[in-house]
Amino acid sequence: MSADEFDPDIERLFARAPAMPDAALFTAQVERRLQKGSALRGLALGIAGIVGGVVAVRETLTVNIGSGDGVVAGEALGQGVRSVSFNAQTAIQSGLDQFGLGNLELGSMGGMQMFWIAAGALIALAAAGVVRLSQEV
Amino acid sequence: MSQPLVDRHDVELAALAAAGGRREFGELVRRHGSAVRGLLRRMGAQPALADDIAQDAFIQAFERCAEFRGDGTFAAWVKRIAARLYIKRVAKEARYVAELESEDVAPATDHAGRVDLDEALKSLSEAERLCVSLCHGAGMAHPEIATALNLPLGTVKSHVKRGLDKLRARLQPEPAQPLGRTQHVG
Repeated sequence: MSADEFDPDIERLFARAPAMPDAALFTAQVERRLQKGSALRGLALGIAGIVGGVVAVRETLTVNIGSGDGVVAGEALGQGVRSVSFNAQTAIQSGLDQFGLGNLELGSMGGMQMFWIAAGALIALAAAGVVRLSQEV
Repeated sequence: MSQPLVDRHDVELAALAAAGGRREFGELVRRHGSAVRGLLRRMGAQPALADDIAQDAFIQAFERCAEFRGDGTFAAWVKRIAARLYIKRVAKEARYVAELESEDVAPATDHAGRVDLDEALKSLSEAERLCVSLCHGAGMAHPEIATALNLPLGTVKSHVKRGLDKLRARLQPEPAQPLGRTQHVG
């Protein structure tokens, strides 16, 4: 603003916040929205973590137990472990099936598949960045 | 024992909020909520819309709290965020583009014949009110307003000048009336 348009009285009046009778309610509403946003973000991260973890555990069990003969010294103990791991695998597999991830085999993915998944993730990240930037601009 | 939130400075609270402190940010909302809501109403937003935008502005401020460096006041920073959100909203409706020269309405006065800012702003046209509020309420420079509103710089300047002239005229105290005479305002 130019110097001749600067008016300290007007500035002072604008700087004075009007009294709002429902100020406490407004604050509570903002805090509730913050809480809700945080809870949703936490939930999304939690679900992603659990799904990722379950997939990782299943992959680990498949690799270790599939070639588990001779790893465990006692035959009985070996059978016990195999039985437990089989049960765990079954439970995990049924869980993954429910999420539609039953056929996800990270190890069996070809190089091109991995490339396209990584490319897709990068494109999504770039798009999100552009959207965020446009919002700020 | 930690310092109570009410005793902490805005910059300190903002730094704690940037680290995820929702309680600290709540204190900032308590301190500056009315100022931000008031600015949006002065810009011409209806109370419900002003409150919605003010909430959005605070949520956005929380997410971007790390960007607040304390160069200006926290209130001014959030006001600018809120002003930009409001501009986006009115730009969608293309309200400010139309030169709606509202008729000069005589604002309500108090017993001393003075008017307050909110009443005086009602006598400005929509465009004048928006430009004056952005300039003096949100602290935006004329070129910044021109860019944000997609208006020529000269138009913004004339809106601000005309708006200020009207405000000064409205806000000027009435000359003292002789005792025993009834005061007429209008």
